[in-house]
Amino acid sequence: MTNVLVTHADEPVGRRIVKTLFHDPAIGVIFAVGSGPAPRAFDRFLAGSPPRLLYARGDLAKHRPASDLFRSARFRDADIDSVVHVPAHGAAARGVRLVAGLPARTAEARIVLQQCLESPGVRNLVAIGSAFVYRLAPGNANVLHESSELDLDPSIPAEIRSWIDCDMLLHGEAQGGALRVVLLRVPTVLASGGFVFLNPWLEGRPGPRVRPLGFDPLCAVVADKDVARAVRLALRSRACGVFNVAGSEAVPLSLLARWTGRSAWPLPSPARGLVATALGALRGLPAGPRLPPLRYGFTLDGQRADDELGFRPAYRIGLARAGDGRLRLETSAV
Amino acid sequence: MSALVDPLWLDGIPGEALPPPEGGPTCLGADPLVALTGASDPFFERLDRLLEAEPAPAAPGPRVDEARSARPRPRRRWAVTPSVSEIDPGEPSDLLDYWLDDDVRRRLQALAHLAHAESGYDRFGFSPGAFRRAFPFFHALHRRWFRVRSEGHENLPAEGPAILVANHGGLLPFDGAMAVVDVLLHTDPPRLLRSIVDRWAGTLPWVNVFFARTGQVVGTRENFVELLAEGQLVLVFPEGMNGIRKPVTQRYRLQPFHVGFVELALRTRVPLVPVAIVGSDDQAPILFDLAPLARRFGLPTFPVTPTFPWLGPLGLVPYPVPYRIVYGPPIHLHERFGPDDAEDVRLVQHLADEVRRTLQALLDRRRR
Repeated sequence: MTNVLVTHADEPVGRRIVKTLFHDPAIGVIFAVGSGPAPRAFDRFLAGSPPRLLYARGDLAKHRPASDLFRSARFRDADIDSVVHVPAHGAAARGVRLVAGLPARTAEARIVLQQCLESPGVRNLVAIGSAFVYRLAPGNANVLHESSELDLDPSIPAEIRSWIDCDMLLHGEAQGGALRVVLLRVPTVLASGGFVFLNPWLEGRPGPRVRPLGFDPLCAVVADKDVARAVRLALRSRACGVFNVAGSEAVPLSLLARWTGRSAWPLPSPARGLVATALGALRGLPAGPRLPPLRYGFTLDGQRADDELGFRPAYRIGLARAGDGRLRLETSAV
Repeated sequence: MSALVDPLWLDGIPGEALPPPEGGPTCLGADPLVALTGASDPFFERLDRLLEAEPAPAAPGPRVDEARSARPRPRRRWAVTPSVSEIDPGEPSDLLDYWLDDDVRRRLQALAHLAHAESGYDRFGFSPGAFRRAFPFFHALHRRWFRVRSEGHENLPAEGPAILVANHGGLLPFDGAMAVVDVLLHTDPPRLLRSIVDRWAGTLPWVNVFFARTGQVVGTRENFVELLAEGQLVLVFPEGMNGIRKPVTQRYRLQPFHVGFVELALRTRVPLVPVAIVGSDDQAPILFDLAPLARRFGLPTFPVTPTFPWLGPLGLVPYPVPYRIVYGPPIHLHERFGPDDAEDVRLVQHLADEVRRTLQALLDRRRR
């Protein structure tokens, strides 16, 4: 029986992972940690006696709260042996928050890793990373393997840099001794209803976005349910290292924006920066300078995850007609 | 619709230009290089042994470096299209349909099986819908403008991967486009030829989208291997950019080949099909290349032809020269050499030169 701690469990992908793990008979106690109050979706899970789901609030980007959590009696009593680190996304990822000079996402990954290494009971760390860390060759679509080069260009936007820093921190421990580290690099995550996560460009509230004129890169997408499945399989397996979690679909950016209720305005370079900054200031949309230009697209090769974790995408993503007659994004089992 | 060039810089080393062989292509055993250099060179000793040896076993030893190795994984399902006879063309639904006959519409409809049903795109950005919209124009070029005649279709595999190796010329890549149209029209089940294009093309606004939607793929090692793993036909132009910017005095003389395609053919155990395209070098005869100007504008070439740049963009319109496309017999390098031989740079270079001579001979024969 595996007892799991899930970070950012109050955010959409974290919630989905908690729900999936809750229904897995191989999982014992789930210790969910979030920065806000427990989501209402957890109410029925928290009501069990004894509860299989525990919930605690904490800011894991700061050392003291994280240390307190990992040394708490609840953590000890739950006998946690695995940690699923879901990076900040959704509402938690808005704006660039610095903690001790580091982006909050990087600080959080560093502290969670450190706490896992120092906690004697923790043997597995499964972390969600981003597939936006790869260096992209010019082109509308490029297939990327786990061994493909990371984008270490110093001029890359801070948003991507923080993902790369997290990736490298975790990757550095992947071949370590006591702690088994699995890093799942996921592309854009889509959920039923048109929600989009872990895409620096589309994440945040619906509204217009700007994209480079003359470019419409192909974007790899994966369903949130598939991400949760991949986490479950990673917890069960004995593999360690980096795995691409590839969905079955890849769609152009313009279509992806449409699917998720956003519009993508193609603009030439100088105007794009100005408009993106204006949208950021006026409507709180992701601002231009910290985002990648998204000229070139990619799709992921998920063969390694298939071979070693047994993960294959099981959910299709597409438009379906909702009860009110409107088309909306749905994920459905293949 | 097709590739600008395929430099395939995939660790390849462009070969030195070798004189064309007399009396057609040489077979590997009668290579003049071996005769000239004698047996003192360990490389040629090894080459001799390889040439005398039995064909390599089908299942080679374990891979040394998984990250570098590029064998297609056997469990991958091939991307296949249904046979033309299995497709119901249906009633014409728009103007484009009236333009095309039933057979062509069936073939275009078969390509829809290559894309995901939900999104309508494959993992390289190919869109059957976009291809269908672009096809009438290129079909008209194929039939009316270039009056393409082709032969040797029996050398195109009905299924499974193959690397088509073609000569390149003519400033704009109409040779690749004509090959794509020709292969689609002469294979059953209809096959989509995926051209490998230069990275530079991937940086061009609109062009990169157009190439991707019509099935062309930027030439990275990963893309190339993935296409072969999916069982697709891949078209490469190993001359690279040198092919399209060669002057009229060099027309139909193959430039030194980049060798990445041979390395990957060995690793992935895929046959090579030489494709001679006669006509491409006549569509836009280049008088000379203004290299300094090209560098100034960040272009790979700045050609001067009888019409360009004098007539502006109109000068890029290709001359209506007749095309002839010849698909040569497949070259099964993997039957003689194992995947590990792809590590041998000199052997790979030598094999690339052999393929070049074979293609040159095919080209010379069909030009007569």
